[in-house]
Amino acid sequence: MADNTFAETGKSAVLQNIQGTMAFLQQFPPFTQMDMAHLAYLVEHCQLRFYAQGETILNPEDGPVEFFYIVKQGRVVGERPHAGKQPEQSTFEISTGECFPLAALIGERATRTRHLAGEDSFCLLLDKPAFRKLFSVSEQLRNFALRGVSSLLDQVNQQVQLRAAESLGEQYSLNTPLSELAMRTAVTCTAECSLRDAVRQMHEQHVGSIVVVDSAQHPLGIFTLRDLRRVIADNESLDQSIELLMTPNPFALPPSASAFDAAIAMAERHIAHICLITDQQLCGVVSERDLFSLQRVDLVHLARTLRTASKLETLIALRSDINLLVDRMLAHGASSTQITHIITLLNDQTVCRVIELTIADLGDPGVQFTWLCFGSEGRREQTLLTDQDNGIVFTADSDAAAESIRQKLLPLAQEINQRLARCGFTLCTGNIMAGNPELCLSQQQWSQRFDSFIATTTPEHLLRSSIYFDLRAVWGPAKGVKQLREALLAKIAQNTLFQRMMAENALRHRPPLGLIRDFVVARKGVEKDTLDLKIQGLTPFVDGARLLALANGVGACNTLERLRALIRKGVIDELDGAAYEEAYHFIQQTRMQQHQLQAKQNLPYSNRLDPDTLNHLDRRILRESFRQAQRLQSSLAQRYQL
Amino acid sequence: MNALTWLTGAKPSLDAEQQARVDALGKPAALDKTPLAEQRIVVLDLETSGLDTRRDQVLSIGAVVINQGAIVLGEQFECVVQRHDLKINASILIHGLRPFDIAAGIDPSEALLSFMEFLGDSPLLAFHANFDKRMLGRALKQTLGLKLRHPFLDVAEMAPLLCPDNAPRRGSLEAWAEQFGLQVHQRHHASADAMVTAELALIMFSKARQNGLDSLQQLAEALEGYRRRKQFHP
Repeated sequence: MADNTFAETGKSAVLQNIQGTMAFLQQFPPFTQMDMAHLAYLVEHCQLRFYAQGETILNPEDGPVEFFYIVKQGRVVGERPHAGKQPEQSTFEISTGECFPLAALIGERATRTRHLAGEDSFCLLLDKPAFRKLFSVSEQLRNFALRGVSSLLDQVNQQVQLRAAESLGEQYSLNTPLSELAMRTAVTCTAECSLRDAVRQMHEQHVGSIVVVDSAQHPLGIFTLRDLRRVIADNESLDQSIELLMTPNPFALPPSASAFDAAIAMAERHIAHICLITDQQLCGVVSERDLFSLQRVDLVHLARTLRTASKLETLIALRSDINLLVDRMLAHGASSTQITHIITLLNDQTVCRVIELTIADLGDPGVQFTWLCFGSEGRREQTLLTDQDNGIVFTADSDAAAESIRQKLLPLAQEINQRLARCGFTLCTGNIMAGNPELCLSQQQWSQRFDSFIATTTPEHLLRSSIYFDLRAVWGPAKGVKQLREALLAKIAQNTLFQRMMAENALRHRPPLGLIRDFVVARKGVEKDTLDLKIQGLTPFVDGARLLALANGVGACNTLERLRALIRKGVIDELDGAAYEEAYHFIQQTRMQQHQLQAKQNLPYSNRLDPDTLNHLDRRILRESFRQAQRLQSSLAQRYQL
Repeated sequence: MNALTWLTGAKPSLDAEQQARVDALGKPAALDKTPLAEQRIVVLDLETSGLDTRRDQVLSIGAVVINQGAIVLGEQFECVVQRHDLKINASILIHGLRPFDIAAGIDPSEALLSFMEFLGDSPLLAFHANFDKRMLGRALKQTLGLKLRHPFLDVAEMAPLLCPDNAPRRGSLEAWAEQFGLQVHQRHHASADAMVTAELALIMFSKARQNGLDSLQQLAEALEGYRRRKQFHP
């Protein structure tokens, strides 16, 4: 440090109380990683104040904030004054080692929230000039102040990964780039090579695939042992050139793609080999078997078995394998996003297969239709606790024509609903299912229905729009759905009243942060001491992201994709968006770990969690995550002036 | 300085510059009606070679300042006093100052002079203040030839007066610190003890204000009354 101010600091840093305070602060981020000289400077410029329970520490009326506060002992709560009759509500809690009010201090403004001592508390206060000085030199403080929860989560993720790596004994994760995995040089041959010679090469090199390339090493096709089985069964001549028997235009990824990308691609496409290419040139092959730990997890195999199952019973039996898979993926350190992605993929495969099997059993209705899904399934955010939210869209010229098609499709749809229920997709209590005549509509009827939701905003319509507007085609042509969505976005962009109503709706579920304890939990009944991770934690993000996406022409349905698109469009700040994403991520991860635990103990799935069962760090992060949900909600309230 | 000079009544030996500094020390301010939130107070803790206020010696001085209602972390006094004739006794187990530390300490007259300059005209606060008052008073007399006139207030006395309901059974600094959940960085380290005493004092000042006692003078009067009541109705 070139600065004299910091050189001076050394002298008193040896004092017992300065050292003690530094040691205390070092237990908490961002002080954990702060340069010692910066930390000493901070402590020496602090004063320590006592606040009796109920005493106001900061008031919006006090004007621009003059100090940076760190809770040394006790608990500080924030109360936002509510316009009108409502009593003041506690909006957040700040406990030992945490600091405030960063946003107001950096923004050089007053706080929007009254801060008061939730219990007898001591705070360290750093005055604004000293804070500014520290802010300008300490990268840790700057990052922390600007990113809030994000940097906290980063630290945890690093810890978790470290632990995972330790327990696996090797640095392997689903995020490992394919180039770092055992990437074999591909066995290749030219298009004119005979089948006999190609298979001989495969045999000699002990590989399951051969890539057919041109003179520039550009892959033309791939031939695998599975293809060989078919060729032999079909009694093909072994002297034909491989070109006639290979699978042309093999799927390829760059070596920078992750193991997860490869596994998902294999599962989606039902392939066991992926070519790796750089600059159009073949540089390797990754096989299902190469994805070592995924091989044990067997995602690819499971997806294929689901997709080709010949009986409903097989599908039902495979559900427990999905459970097992998710369990192992969690154990391998997969993120909640990866897992919801996988569950959605496997659920889609199951749905498609159930539809096909049912058509085969009941007979083809003779009309083309598209199977829709809504809600979490539509957003690709399914967990193991899943109920059915589905519908059907078809094309018809008139209402009369639509009615006659509907009558043909309904028996089939109802049977599909029942069969899905047997596969573990709980029947929807709200009857949002394709077998319901109101949800088996022509494209035009859907469009009218959506219009009516937007035109007359009743609570019922709002609730429905929050389910139906997250729609996606699972089976059948997707074009109609795309058109429906585009019309929807255009309508909503023009209707600010509807946006405002949706915003109000998005503020309905408040994150469970409390005044008395750090979390608000149910007081009695079977739900005593628990909070709802889904409704109280995830819903604020899902609702907020949906509203902003629909209002700003973002077509994506997935909450995280929506947030990213909104950042790209400049609708939400990049740092805010990143913090929301990670908070959402963490709550979802907590929820899934809980579901896995419940499955193991043969308990029914529940989203209710007793925060006391979490360890200290997880508790704190969960609270931070809820705080991000509050921030999103308050930004909505501001945007729509609620 | 040892017991012998006290017996012989010899004047302490100070050089001219030190004597000038002693002479320049200001007069202590009397306790007045300055609101607690504006008062400067020095919170003191001494580590000594034992509990005998007539014979034992001050080994280290720790002091923390309360100013404008807050503990100012950048304004602290901490020093170990150099002693050559110290006998190793059981007290070492308490204060943890090794003979080596004591020998490396600051010359007594320099240490006490610096402390008095740090103190200025502010009133003093300590836990079991009588002990610190006597030890400091004797040390000042012997080393600097100075009479300690600064008013002393006792946090150990304030606490049961202001918090009769949550008084611990034993009125020690540890017991009170535990009562209010205060962390002691290093017990029986003069500075750390002074810090805890100061934290305790902040809590007491908050209670005092709630009871309408908003100056050290009012607080001292209340303590006087409390002492009298205790004398007649123990």
